[in-house]
Amino acid sequence: MIAIRDITVTFGGVTALNALTVDLADPVVGIIGPNGAGKTTFLNVLSGFITPKTGTIDAFGTELLSLRPHQRSRWGLRRSFQKEQVVDELTVEENISVVLDNLSLSSGQYQNFLAAALDFAGLTPVRRERAAGLNAFQRRMTEIARCAAGQPRLLLLDEPGAGLSQNEVDVLRRTISDIHAFNGAMTLLIDHDVDLIQAVCSSTMVLDFGSLVTAGRTRDVLSDARVRAVYLGVEELA
Amino acid sequence: MAIANEISATNASAPPRFRLAAHWPLLALVFAAAIVPVLLAALWLKVLTSVVIYALTAASIALLYRKLGQVSLAQVAFMGCGGWVTLRLSYGIGLPFEINVLAGGVFAAVVGMIFAYPALRMRGLYLALVTMMASGGFGILINVIQFPNGGEGFLGFAVKAISYMPRPWIAQSDEAYFRYCIGVVFLGFLLIHLHERGRPGRAWLLIRKSEAAAMAVGINVTAYKIWGFALSGFLAGVAGGLLAGNLQLLDARSFPPAESVMIFALTIVGGAWHWYGAVIAALLYRFVPALLNDLGVNGDAAFIIFGGALIHALTTAPRGIAGQLTDLVGRITRKEKRP
Repeated sequence: MIAIRDITVTFGGVTALNALTVDLADPVVGIIGPNGAGKTTFLNVLSGFITPKTGTIDAFGTELLSLRPHQRSRWGLRRSFQKEQVVDELTVEENISVVLDNLSLSSGQYQNFLAAALDFAGLTPVRRERAAGLNAFQRRMTEIARCAAGQPRLLLLDEPGAGLSQNEVDVLRRTISDIHAFNGAMTLLIDHDVDLIQAVCSSTMVLDFGSLVTAGRTRDVLSDARVRAVYLGVEELA
Repeated sequence: MAIANEISATNASAPPRFRLAAHWPLLALVFAAAIVPVLLAALWLKVLTSVVIYALTAASIALLYRKLGQVSLAQVAFMGCGGWVTLRLSYGIGLPFEINVLAGGVFAAVVGMIFAYPALRMRGLYLALVTMMASGGFGILINVIQFPNGGEGFLGFAVKAISYMPRPWIAQSDEAYFRYCIGVVFLGFLLIHLHERGRPGRAWLLIRKSEAAAMAVGINVTAYKIWGFALSGFLAGVAGGLLAGNLQLLDARSFPPAESVMIFALTIVGGAWHWYGAVIAALLYRFVPALLNDLGVNGDAAFIIFGGALIHALTTAPRGIAGQLTDLVGRITRKEKRP
């Protein structure tokens, strides 16, 4: 379980996250909210790229905020970015190796984790190809494989479905749903595709203007009047 | 282990027949080492020895530029650091040449690590300016303290009674020293290659792509950047030690900051993305001016050629001459394969 307590982030006069307090426990948790709601800022706090002004994050018994970004990754935190960060000059398997390189693994474990991650993301046939020749979907899956490789505890996926076709999103949906069974990690998923969120996330939290609107079971959250107000801009009824 | 796996994997997949494309670097190496000294007069041999040495310097610049996207205009100063330590140890303690050169390389690597600190905070033009200022500082410093030439004391500088630094015992003659330098530079290129194929190469590429993404996969960005600068400094320092052995003394006037700018520009012209781009850069830097002098043209005319070549590289050949050659060879071999 991840206990987030009183996280506040300000950029100058703008409050990007306002005393965010939430418990996240399900295998896949969705984060939704309109543009500028603070979703990516929240992931950046978890990754360690932004230091919050106040608050604590207890992830499975570890105080995340006391670790530096690369130490969090070694602890088991992984993330993908809105714009995928696959290195063109490297092959698919090398793009996954970069994460295994930083874990203390024996040669056998290393190869096993690599093969498992490639297989998990359906990339085994192209494992020795250069990333420059991949299509957008394969690049996205390469990044998911990089996140899932090794023994991660928490995956942060920032809009993995952006720019993919419906068929591709279907594959992505199955893959994300399988992450917990594959390596036991929990996933936080940001996406604007509410169908995708509904399909894979058992619980969802909603942000707006840096504050938590609500969090809970996805079905309840999506039918919440306040969430509809946030998304559709309808005046909230008192 | 990862490196070993990759190497064995590539060996296993290579077809048994002899492929020119895969072996030409070794053939070129053997040709250069075996044939060139026999064909050339003494003067040209000295010129080509310095070409070989500067190829290592150019490779050290290309490494930083290609892998970390960093522009270092201090490589000639690193050479000077390596050369100074090599000379000082050689006169002072009389250790074997190899140990002196290694010590020079290690010293330059430490200096390189110090340079990495500003590089953690800045990049591009600002880092280039910082490295250039530092290399200007080195130029002034070395003009004051001079390179050791067999004198007494810590600085080892004698105004009169200059003695020459001994060369390695297996490479006393110019021919042997030329071959010796080829061997050392080959090892330097091999060191770069092993880094690139292994864990540091992957980490550097991801850092170049995005530092945030690198941190997110657990790469210690600070450590790898410092390591990149240390390796680059080490290689330049070794090149400086070899240069000291070539001339058997060094002159402070050969290390002005402008030379660093020149060799960086030529590395771009030669091509930072291919190992032989460094060789082309060194040929342009050392061989072309000597050739022009030989033809009765002032060697400074080379600057005009370099300027033109740089404009050419920046406008039409972002991967340098080496990139163009590789594309050309690729096009020719594809044509041959067509029925």
